[in-house]
Amino acid sequence: MKTKDDSNQSVKRMDRPNVASNPSTAAGTQEMTEQQKLQQQLQIFQNSLPKVSQTVYMMLLNECVPLSMAVERKHGDCTSKLDGNGDDEVSQTGEQLQKIHVSPPLDPPSHQLCRELYEADEEKHNRVLDRLRNIGFEIGNKITELLVFSNNPNLQFKDMDLLSVMKFICRDVWRQMFNKQIDNLKTNHRGTFYLFDYDYQPIQSFALDSESSEKELQMVKPFLEIAVGVIKGVLASIGHAPEDVICLASYVDRPEEKPRASFTKGVSFHVQVAM
Amino acid sequence: MSAPAQSKSLKAIGEDTWKNKTEKVNAELFTLTYGAIVSQLCADYDRDFQKVNNHLFSMGYNIGVRLVEDFLARTALPRCENMVKTSEMISKCAFKIFLNMTPQVTNWSSEKDAFSLMLDENPLSDFVELPMDAMKQLWYSNVLSGVLKGALEMVQLDCDVWFVSDILKGDPQTELRIKLNKVLKDEVPIGED
Repeated sequence: MKTKDDSNQSVKRMDRPNVASNPSTAAGTQEMTEQQKLQQQLQIFQNSLPKVSQTVYMMLLNECVPLSMAVERKHGDCTSKLDGNGDDEVSQTGEQLQKIHVSPPLDPPSHQLCRELYEADEEKHNRVLDRLRNIGFEIGNKITELLVFSNNPNLQFKDMDLLSVMKFICRDVWRQMFNKQIDNLKTNHRGTFYLFDYDYQPIQSFALDSESSEKELQMVKPFLEIAVGVIKGVLASIGHAPEDVICLASYVDRPEEKPRASFTKGVSFHVQVAM
Repeated sequence: MSAPAQSKSLKAIGEDTWKNKTEKVNAELFTLTYGAIVSQLCADYDRDFQKVNNHLFSMGYNIGVRLVEDFLARTALPRCENMVKTSEMISKCAFKIFLNMTPQVTNWSSEKDAFSLMLDENPLSDFVELPMDAMKQLWYSNVLSGVLKGALEMVQLDCDVWFVSDILKGDPQTELRIKLNKVLKDEVPIGED
């Protein structure tokens, strides 16, 4: 609650460091050409690294949501001694058969798990989201290392202030993970940040039409939690302990001038860092 | 005579699709993301690795059933008439397009219904070292067997897919076995035959 007040009070002082459109202006240097040259070198280096398909990566990230729900389900089963997941369609594979490499019992299909997550009670729901944030946290924690060793001329972790850390997330972390930058960053310079991503990659394939119901939006919401964890993880790796950081994701409307995307809502990450 | 020509074109399709029609992300990022998922699972199950294996498989299955659509849309390849063709499709196109690797196909069974994929460069398990207790039971890359199972099922091939050996377990190579159970029949709607 404290965060809400804080940010409202300071709305007037909000300014917009221009991260999105042009990285070199954000750095604000006069030696543009030098900077650009280094940037170009970095790009070449990045391109030379081994790659995998982005489709696969996004699917892997998104599949974490049903997976976490499946784990939650199994845990419930374990406590009530119903371990053989009796309600699975694929449970004919007896245990003796399993030894000769018949496929293991499957969890229910993803869409069903997502629905279950939506219908789960709050306690369960929160446990699943925690699990997702944990996964994100670990990714974020390590992605810093990955980026520190990338020779990016824009990065200097020595004496880095909070704003540059956030810029680092908006620009480098986001580009590494989602092939795009955060569209807009707002701050009150006192630890409150809003990161706007108007086409958050992992949910772009969930095509909702313009009259998408509240319910559908709620069902997509868990897919934002990994990014929440990533932000916290990156901050933790640069010395902002997770208990000092609050990060929440919510939907925002996309600005009018943006071209139509398949997902009608943008995402806003609200980050509050205790200073 | 036509077999080598065929396989070459499959290889070309795979490479072309990878180069020109695929958006890419850093493989290290992929590795560490997968690592985060596996370690979260291990924590959730208190290191009961059998359950972790099953969940990874199931997760892979759910990915595979959707990934196959992307694959077919990207490549527009026709149906495979036998397992030999299928194996080439998997190694030269599918693995190439999605993970940028080309596993070797070996160890054919005498009926040509089972084969092995040798994954010498597996991006899922790069830089990974398993702790002692996990080495015995955990199939770290088990998501792959799930993906293959799911994807093949969507093209009417009911298969069993499992890991035979893994470098992470101290084996000399990583071997993924695929065995065809049966070819599922195309269902004709009632009253239309």
